[in-house]
Amino acid sequence: MRALIKTLIGDKRNFFTAAICILIAVIVLHTRAAPLTGLALPLMLLCGAAYLAKH
Amino acid sequence: MIGVLAATFLTASVEWVEAYTIVLAVALSIGWRRALNAALAAIAVLAILTTAGSLLLTRIGDLAVLQFLVGVFLILFGLRWFAKAIARGAGLKSLHDENQEFAELRAMPEINDSRAAWAIAFNGVLLEGLEVWLIVVALGVQTHHTIAAASAALAALLVVILAGFLVRKPLARVPENTIKFTVACGILAFGTFWTLQSLGYAWPFADAALFALFAFNILGGLTLTALFKKRLA
Repeated sequence: MRALIKTLIGDKRNFFTAAICILIAVIVLHTRAAPLTGLALPLMLLCGAAYLAKH
Repeated sequence: MIGVLAATFLTASVEWVEAYTIVLAVALSIGWRRALNAALAAIAVLAILTTAGSLLLTRIGDLAVLQFLVGVFLILFGLRWFAKAIARGAGLKSLHDENQEFAELRAMPEINDSRAAWAIAFNGVLLEGLEVWLIVVALGVQTHHTIAAASAALAALLVVILAGFLVRKPLARVPENTIKFTVACGILAFGTFWTLQSLGYAWPFADAALFALFAFNILGGLTLTALFKKRLA
């Protein structure tokens, strides 16, 4: 069961990094900058990956 | 469809190579018959999980909810592989070495005990296969190509079995990190696309945006790898 959960969400750091990226994308989607959400999420995920790779 | 098949085949290839190392290490202790028996039992469990997961997801009537769930899980999975591949590519983390993995397994005292070795092979194949299961179910259900995705995973299994039969030692020359990096870029592209689409975002150029996302991830990942490498030097 633990292995299944780890496969689905990874560790805590991975989970929270992805959650923050998606949350920021949702916020951008509800502002006037909404058309840029398609750029914001991949950019946030790239920053998240840089953080995870370093730590 | 081709993207789904390629992502599933490549993900499965990497995972089956790792599973093969475990089965090989166990087979040298308890024999091929019992080791393959354990591997087949694990694959049977994975097949049941795939059927159950697909049935569960197809029961979700709301397309947006299904798309969001699948998208988020793909982001979680893709981000993990993406970050690991960057760290390994840049030298921040050591590369996965099948020969070392094999040596460590062979050095385990439990591997000489018939029951414990069977459990090692079973758990190993099951754990490696869970990532294949996630990709088959997530990509398959969302694109209505579950059988094709499962077939791609099985094809990868056959390729690894054939290679293993010919080589009869760990498949250490498979460029695991490059494959994981490429797959992660694709999985992240699918995850990003479906997550935002489920939230009401209209992608410019519709499905073609997937290629742009894939290219963005490849370029971004390679840039990060180069930057980290430069810092380490």
